[in-house]
Amino acid sequence: MTSIILLSIFGIINLFVGFMKSKRILLPLSLLFLAVVFGANLFSWNEAQSYFNHMLTIDNYAVAFTGIMVLATLLLLPFSQHYIEEANENLAEFYSLLLFSLVGAIMMVSYENMLMLFIGIEILSIAMYVLAGSDKRRLRSNEAALKYFLMGAFFTGVLLFGIVLIYGATGSFYLTDIAATAAVNDGTVNAMFTLGLLLLVIGISFKISAAPFHFWAPDVYEGTPTLFTSYMSTVVKIAGVAAFYKLMAAAFAASYAAWFPTLIAITVLTLVVGNIGAVVQTNFKRMLAYSSVSHAGYLLMALVAFNERSDASILFYSLSYALATIVAFAVLQYVSEQRNGDETYAAFNGLGKTNPLLAFAMTVAMCSLSGIPLTAGFFGKLFVFTAVVQDARLMWLVVVAVLMAAVGIYYYFKVVIAMYMQPAADAAKIRIGSFASFMLIFITVFTILLGIAPALVSDLL
Amino acid sequence: MLFYLFATLAILSAAYMVLTRNLLYAGFSLLVTLLSVAGIYVLLYADFVAVTQLMVYVGGVLVLILFGIMLSSRVHDKSVLSESVNKVWGVVVTGFILVGLSYTILNANISALPWLQAAGTDVLGQQKSTVQRVGIKLMTDFVVPFELASLLLLIALIGAAYIATDKPKV
Repeated sequence: MTSIILLSIFGIINLFVGFMKSKRILLPLSLLFLAVVFGANLFSWNEAQSYFNHMLTIDNYAVAFTGIMVLATLLLLPFSQHYIEEANENLAEFYSLLLFSLVGAIMMVSYENMLMLFIGIEILSIAMYVLAGSDKRRLRSNEAALKYFLMGAFFTGVLLFGIVLIYGATGSFYLTDIAATAAVNDGTVNAMFTLGLLLLVIGISFKISAAPFHFWAPDVYEGTPTLFTSYMSTVVKIAGVAAFYKLMAAAFAASYAAWFPTLIAITVLTLVVGNIGAVVQTNFKRMLAYSSVSHAGYLLMALVAFNERSDASILFYSLSYALATIVAFAVLQYVSEQRNGDETYAAFNGLGKTNPLLAFAMTVAMCSLSGIPLTAGFFGKLFVFTAVVQDARLMWLVVVAVLMAAVGIYYYFKVVIAMYMQPAADAAKIRIGSFASFMLIFITVFTILLGIAPALVSDLL
Repeated sequence: MLFYLFATLAILSAAYMVLTRNLLYAGFSLLVTLLSVAGIYVLLYADFVAVTQLMVYVGGVLVLILFGIMLSSRVHDKSVLSESVNKVWGVVVTGFILVGLSYTILNANISALPWLQAAGTDVLGQQKSTVQRVGIKLMTDFVVPFELASLLLLIALIGAAYIATDKPKV
């Protein structure tokens, strides 16, 4: 609760600071705000409390995911330096929108009431619609915003319809009441309840870009300015998956039989479509979009497993995925900006010679995304897979996932090959600020640290 | 009786709105749809929702839509038309949704739901309207969603202002 209040106030302060002439203070200020929120959030650890007539419950689950999302924002903000250099007039608005959208993300991991879930998703989405179109001079950014907005509005309608049908069947918006009604009726109250559940699953699947509701992702990710794509594919996705798990665990645990077949179909489809789709891309940013679809698939696997290991493995996977994704997008941003906006694999040619640091950070990130040992991504996948094999009937799902992870290695290493094996067409060194390179080193070290000592995070929940 | 009148009106005008190719006519038939839905709300003792429907949708959103249509048509003597594409897939998907929804609603046996039985029929009790109770609920039980909805509106406002401003001077 404190983090929600703090973020709202800080966002407004940020807007007022934006009136000042110099934009240099905005970045340190926003980072300071996020650090304060991160610290304040930790005070709620092990002190589960429910606020305002059970609208929100800040328990360890909420604190852990809030922490990860605030940390991810904190780590990706330093890469917004180019906005400061070009003295962007609207920098304060961008930062404020990010802070406000974090409020929505926190609501999504701590809600006890469907109303809160809905408002949380909307706060997060509307901020993202604006940020997707924040580069008004580029046609692609406008296209991304419009596409995201139209699709998002439609699927918000689907989600709302689902919530309403559930309300009709159970007479309550509270997760506990829904669970209680479902429990006394063998998990399915009536046909309305089942349909509502299906629509809810579809609505949230869209938000986390799970197949077959992923079709918006590649275009939107490609058109959105890279900094906000990075935010979209980390914070938005983590919030969506965490909200999904909380919804299923707190409200629909008794209805397991009703949603399990749908969700397992979505999971397999997401894994296959995401990985196969990524193989054929030549644009690195588009490949990352498909890769984020496939990672939604791995996260959904932990959800499908639905046992006591699920939440911890979702948490660890989210963190490892977020770290690697932030690095990938950050390096892409620097490279494409200084190589004429080129976002294909070819832009990375020879980066290993000109910028060893960038190339190394990128290599570690790619290893982590594909799940190579000694990086966080390996343990992320390991925890998810062990959660799934608890149920011996789901062995085949792990086999599919491992095959798809092998496919993943192919396209993630394309860029590594380009960096080290291909001669540089344009031998100019990529310029990067010292603070940004420090952050890159920090994230890379953190990724490797988690790959060696995963217990730092994995035993939290 | 009155319910069936409003329901028929709503369905017919909604169907006309979808089927007509002239955007302006579609806008006007949306007006009829929204008004008849407001009528249904009144019959359901949801007077606050009905008034909100009239003020927000009929009074605000619809006027905005009509203005949008009128101002954005560049050619004077030609009315704005909407084209439909992907007819086959559209029919398949919407038909699927229609059948699914009708099947569900017909099978739901809504009147047997336990919480509806418990709620009883005397919705209003001693009060003349629900506005007072809605207001008190908004300020007590639902104060957090209420306040956070204002944050949502603030974000939308920032976004609208940002998108509508001129391109930055270079």
